[in-house]
Amino acid sequence: MLSKLIKYDIKRIAKFLLVFYVLAIFSAILTRLLFMVNNSFIIGILAQICSGFTCAMIANILINTLMRQWVKFKSTLYDDESYLTHTLPVEKSSIYMSKIIVSIGSIIISVLVIFLTLFIAYYSKENIEVLKNTLLPIANLYNSSLIRVVLIFIAAFMVETLCILQSGYTGIILGHKMNNNKILFSIVYGLLVYIFTQVFALGLVFILGLFNDNLMNLFITNEVLNFDTIRIVGYLCIFIYFIIFIGNLFINIRLFMNGVDVD
Amino acid sequence: MELLKCSNLNKNYGKKKVLKDINFSITDGKIIGLLGKNGTGKSTLIKLINDLLVPTSGDILILGKEIGVESKEVISYLPERTYLDKTMTVRQVIDYFVDFYEDFDKNKATSLLKDLDLDIDEKLIKMSKGMQEKVQLVLVMSRKAKLYILDEPLGGVDPATRDYILDTILNNFNEGSSVIISTHLIADIERILDEVIFIDKGKIILTGDADEIRSRENASIDEVFRRMFKC
Repeated sequence: MLSKLIKYDIKRIAKFLLVFYVLAIFSAILTRLLFMVNNSFIIGILAQICSGFTCAMIANILINTLMRQWVKFKSTLYDDESYLTHTLPVEKSSIYMSKIIVSIGSIIISVLVIFLTLFIAYYSKENIEVLKNTLLPIANLYNSSLIRVVLIFIAAFMVETLCILQSGYTGIILGHKMNNNKILFSIVYGLLVYIFTQVFALGLVFILGLFNDNLMNLFITNEVLNFDTIRIVGYLCIFIYFIIFIGNLFINIRLFMNGVDVD
Repeated sequence: MELLKCSNLNKNYGKKKVLKDINFSITDGKIIGLLGKNGTGKSTLIKLINDLLVPTSGDILILGKEIGVESKEVISYLPERTYLDKTMTVRQVIDYFVDFYEDFDKNKATSLLKDLDLDIDEKLIKMSKGMQEKVQLVLVMSRKAKLYILDEPLGGVDPATRDYILDTILNNFNEGSSVIISTHLIADIERILDEVIFIDKGKIILTGDADEIRSRENASIDEVFRRMFKC
């Protein structure tokens, strides 16, 4: 049954995100073409407009990957469509797992589409050189290769985004346990859960700092951190967000299995 | 064994008590009218049975088991609102039901929808609310369920459509199964009821065999209802 739930959740979210994906790639192609034939003032202006539109589409993908999933989570689990979702002969945990699996997939695909869009619109030897020159000092800082640094950043971004997304889900679940002002409570609880996860992450770093002087320097000095400390913090960030994600996942499934109160 | 049994069931919203100590049971092969004025707790009770609300206290047993996957396999529920994803076509909705309900009869659904002169490749969003409700009714009645729960199936529809709905219910519910119909339009469904449950202010105030109540009160169920709920 989980695979069937996933199939329909993918269809629901794809209907919205595909529009932004197509628009982003289309505008990236247009940007590329216009920059290639940039032989007049008007074409130059149009290229800049398309470039701006491409950036706006990238921002749209980032925002909508989160927003649309929160909206769909709420509509399928607490609005009219919930009358069908909750009467399906499937476990509540499967319903939630389906949402999470599709969310992870959506975030990965959105990140890939963003990179594809950037590649189509702006790839050139000069731009790559600029990017290399910008990232190389950071790579040196980590005593690592450029690719590895980029992958660490992407991984950190994705686990952080997943934590934000799941904090929103927790907010919606808790908010809908209230009798009134459910949307307001959903937003408030979502923010509180997110703040709590950030404090929790910081707390974990602090506890680890008790056993590592370099890490403790994050809290007790204003001195520039050494390379080792920054590297450790980078890896810790991914590890801690992953732990928070798993913890939050279990809490949400537990909350969800306690039952829902649909309007 | 009872098909459905509610024991000491209570539901509160904060301090407001919506259902108070509900006790009743339902056996096989009956059509039961859940009757009461608007806002007396009929839909709340139905939502509790369908796992859409969490009871404050009390038990609900379906074939002796608590509400869960197994109870949902045997209950076919028609809510009072349109609950399908409106961006889907009727064909996609049918496939959805085929995917999730093992007891769903696709041929029956297709045949019933054909009688409605409906284009099954049309999206629900392009249909009128009345037509969407008919599609829902067809889907619900195309399951070979043990218990059909229909929440206000006659609400806000014209008399001709009421007849269509009642005929669809009567002609299509599974042999040996039971049907709970919640409504305040008693005159329209009186003829098909075997049992009635009168609910008022969250309490069951009368329950029993429809014929017995008629002969005891020397009046139709509709008249008994009007007397009991007189403002």
